[in-house]
This record gives sequence, C-alpha cells and structure tokens, in this order.
Amino acid sequence: MTRPTSLLTLTRRGLFHPSTPRTALPLAPSAPRNHLRQCQPQSQIHTTTTQPNSLTTPRLSQKTSPKLSPKPRAYHSDHHPTQPHDYTNSQTTILSAALHHVPTHGFSRDALTLGCRDAGFLDVSVQLLPRAEFDLILFWLASRRGLLRSKVESDGLLLPSSTGGGPVLSVDDKIQILLMERLRMNAEVKDQWQDALAVMSLGENIPLSLSELHALADDILNLAGDKSVDASWYSKRMAVAAVYAASDFVMTRDTSAGLRDTEEFVARRWADARAVGNKLTGVRECLGFMGSTAVGLGRSWGLKI
Amino acid sequence: MLARTCFAASFRPTAATPVVLDFLAPSTLQSCRLYNSTATNQSAASAASSAQRSSGSKPRYALNANQREFLDSALRVNQAGELAATLIYAAQTPQVVRSHPHLRPLMKHMYDQEVGHFNTFNHLIAKHRVRPTAMYPVWYAAATFLGWSTGVMGREAAMACTEAVETEIGSHYNDQVREILSWKAEAERRGEELDPELEEMLANFRRIRDEELEHLDHAVENDAKEAKPYDPLVNFIRYGCKAAIKISEKV
Repeated sequence: MTRPTSLLTLTRRGLFHPSTPRTALPLAPSAPRNHLRQCQPQSQIHTTTTQPNSLTTPRLSQKTSPKLSPKPRAYHSDHHPTQPHDYTNSQTTILSAALHHVPTHGFSRDALTLGCRDAGFLDVSVQLLPRAEFDLILFWLASRRGLLRSKVESDGLLLPSSTGGGPVLSVDDKIQILLMERLRMNAEVKDQWQDALAVMSLGENIPLSLSELHALADDILNLAGDKSVDASWYSKRMAVAAVYAASDFVMTRDTSAGLRDTEEFVARRWADARAVGNKLTGVRECLGFMGSTAVGLGRSWGLKI
Repeated sequence: MLARTCFAASFRPTAATPVVLDFLAPSTLQSCRLYNSTATNQSAASAASSAQRSSGSKPRYALNANQREFLDSALRVNQAGELAATLIYAAQTPQVVRSHPHLRPLMKHMYDQEVGHFNTFNHLIAKHRVRPTAMYPVWYAAATFLGWSTGVMGREAAMACTEAVETEIGSHYNDQVREILSWKAEAERRGEELDPELEEMLANFRRIRDEELEHLDHAVENDAKEAKPYDPLVNFIRYGCKAAIKISEKV
C-alpha cells in the first residue's frame, strides 16, 4: 500500500523519486516540514490568511532542497526514457482538474480549490501544492509543452501534407509554426495570462520560469529538426526564447481576429533574429578571411608562419 | 488521513483528460506510454519489464541519473576534444608540410581521422540532445593558436604537441571505456544487457582511443622527443589539456 506515503511525501519537480535510496538523504530534512504542513489546522479560511506567507515559504523550500532548481535533462536516448515528471498522482489529478477552471477563475487558489473538489479531494488538499498558483502555472506550461510535442510527433503538425502539400519546410519555417502553435494554446487563458506572467516574474519564481522557458525553446528547436552542435546551440535557444517571451506578452493585448497581430509580430521578430544572426556570421567570416589572407600573404613572402 | 486516501484511491481512475496528461509520457517513447498511468515509483520496474517484452531476450540495463550525467559530460568533452584536435592539425599542417613535404600523407591521414571522430561526436551530441560546451569559441581560438604556434616552432615541436595532446586524450578515452565496461559488468551480474546504442558507443570509444594512440606513436617516431624545450612544452600542453577537459565537463 503505497498511497499514504505518496500523499505525504511531496515529490516535486526536480526531486528524484524517494524510492531510490540515493535520494533518501536529501529528502529527509524536508519530510518533517511537509509533515507539519499536513498537520496545520485545515480550513479554507486558513489557506487564505496564510496567503502573505506563501510568498516566503516556497523560497525556504527552495533553499532546503537544492535539487528543486531543475537541471536540463541529460543524455536523451530512446532506450532510456527520462522520468517524465515528478508530480505524484494526486498532484497531477488536482492540477489537471484545476486547469479547467483557469479560463474563468484565473491561475488562482480558487481554481485549485475547485480542481480539488472536481477530483474528489477535500478543499484542504491544495496543501499538496506548496507553491499554489505557481504550481498551477508551471503545470500549465509543462502540459502545453507536452501537447506541442505530441502534436508534432503524433498528429504530424510539421509534415508537408498538413500544411497544404507545399514543399518540405525549412527549419526556420518550422520554428515559426511551432512558436505560433504554442502561442495559440495560450489563447484560451489570454485574459488571465498577464497575472500569470506577473507571478512568474516574482523573484523566487524566476529560476523555474526561466528553466521552463529554456525547456520550451529546446523542445521547439528539437522538433523543428535543428542539429546545431556548436556555439549557435546557445544563440538559437536564446533567440527562440526571446521571441517567444516577447510574443507571449504581445498576445495578452492582442484583440485581432485569429491572433493575426501576434502572428505578424512573431514573423517580424523572427526575421529580426535571423538578420542579427546573419550579420554576426558575416562579421565572423570577414574576420576569418582577413586573418587567413594576412597569414597567406606572410607565407608568400617566405615568412615561416 | 484515511478518508483522504480513500478519496484519492477511488477517484484515481478518472484522473484527467488524456490530452492534458500527454506531456507525462513524451511520445518519442512508445514504451513510455505503458507506465504513464502507473504510480511513479513503479516506473523503473515497468520500464525494465517493457524493455524485456520488446527485446525478447535479456532485460535492458537502465541508466541511473549519475550515469546519464556521466555520458552527458563525456560526450561534451569528447566533442570539444575532437574539435580542438581537428583545428590543431589544420593549423600545423601548412608549416610542417612546407619544410618536410614527406609528412604530407601522414598529416593528412591524422587530420582525416580526427575529422571522422569529430563528425561521430557531433552526430552523438545531436542525437542524445547533449548540450555542447559553452566554451566552444574559446577552445576554437585556443586550439588554432596552439596548432599554429607549435607549427611555427618546427616539426619536432609540432610532434611534441601531438604527443602531449594524444597522451591526455588517450588516457581520457581509456577512463571512459573503463567506466562503460564497469556498467557492462554490473549489467551482466544482474543478468541484464546494455542497450545497442551503448554497445555501439563503447565500440566507437575503443576504436577512437586506438586511433589516437596510433597518432601518439606516429608523433614519437617523428622525433617528438627532440623538441627543444621538451619538458616545459609538453607539460604546459598536458596541463592545459587537463584543465580544458575539467572545464568542458562542467560548462
């Protein structure tokens, strides 16, 4: 019977599963704290009065469990499936039920509480998610990212046939399509999204938000079939992340039909990013050419260089 | 507490819409789907059993987090090392060949092999989604400068540079081969087997290590030991290599 323990131990993103003996030690200091949380007086009012506290407690937990800041997943291989997530079953149940209430109630405690009720948990089960609203936002981001991946891999989003049977798409086209597809997923929570962005930009939430942004950029580039293995690996991810973040913000104020303004914005920003990249490549090639010319000139004069 | 567990257990089957939960099982892996709805602490066991079902023979040896980390940094270091080796040979060749034309085939042979290694690791890095080193531009400049400067110092210095670099790289590959072999031994003790990718990687590492050590022999045959300030030069390059390896493992 593993259910009670899985309810008690708050396995969270970035923590390895407690059943592996290696992580038993790092988990130990956090266990009593979780236990305390469970024993707190359990009422709806209490959760609202601790609202100011909830800003400080996550930071505390981040300090006590250093593994919380998620590492980029290392060494992908078809033969070794990565542990897909670190939520417990009850956490995913509550969170995915709560997502249905986001369009009406926003990324708020209310949505979480309603999600708990829908899933058949007590209201107080919101305590399973120590970061409350931010957990809901992270779950939204991660699940949309997974949805994007499955759209490409299962539904053939990027196949030439699905886009009108045109020629095979270039990597740049694919990146734009994926960016736009991901932004469209935010359309249903567009009115709540500024609040979510505000929560994400709080000091203690920034590391996880950024790592989620990196994961999205990484996924988009991988799905688009980008195979860069040099320094452009970094610049491309930064470019995609910057374009996405800017477009995300623009979209919250976009009132045009079918997000046309956002689409044009994405196209413009991506063209800008490409222009900057091309310029840098040009400068580097020019410098390299001048250098090799100088060396070649010296050699033609008989210098032993 | 008891009431809550009952609640959780009774409502678990109607967990959520499959669409939302899809990210829990990256669809790169069909086998992953199999344990998408099971409790996470059983995932390792079910992964092993699903692998067993698919391969039909022995169960697959599952890598733990530390081993993944090791492969991650190993591939990153190896790519950086082969990048540097390629650039060193490319920068040395003109000067060495100019004064010793008979070395042209040897330099070309070594260069071609290094390019082959570099392509191997580029492929592996892209395939396994390993982050390339952030010091890429730095290693690019440093390796070109090292190759060029030892080339200017003459054939012996260039060969001494090759000797120093290949000694370090050869022993580094040797450590990696030993590590993977220890996993293999552990897998055999448990009655499991490594996946074909790891087997292939092991074969590749061995081949590349042997080719690097062959370059070392070529360098010694070509008077690497005659280089003028032999000890300072070789030690400087060796410690530089070691530092570069340590840095590339991390960033």
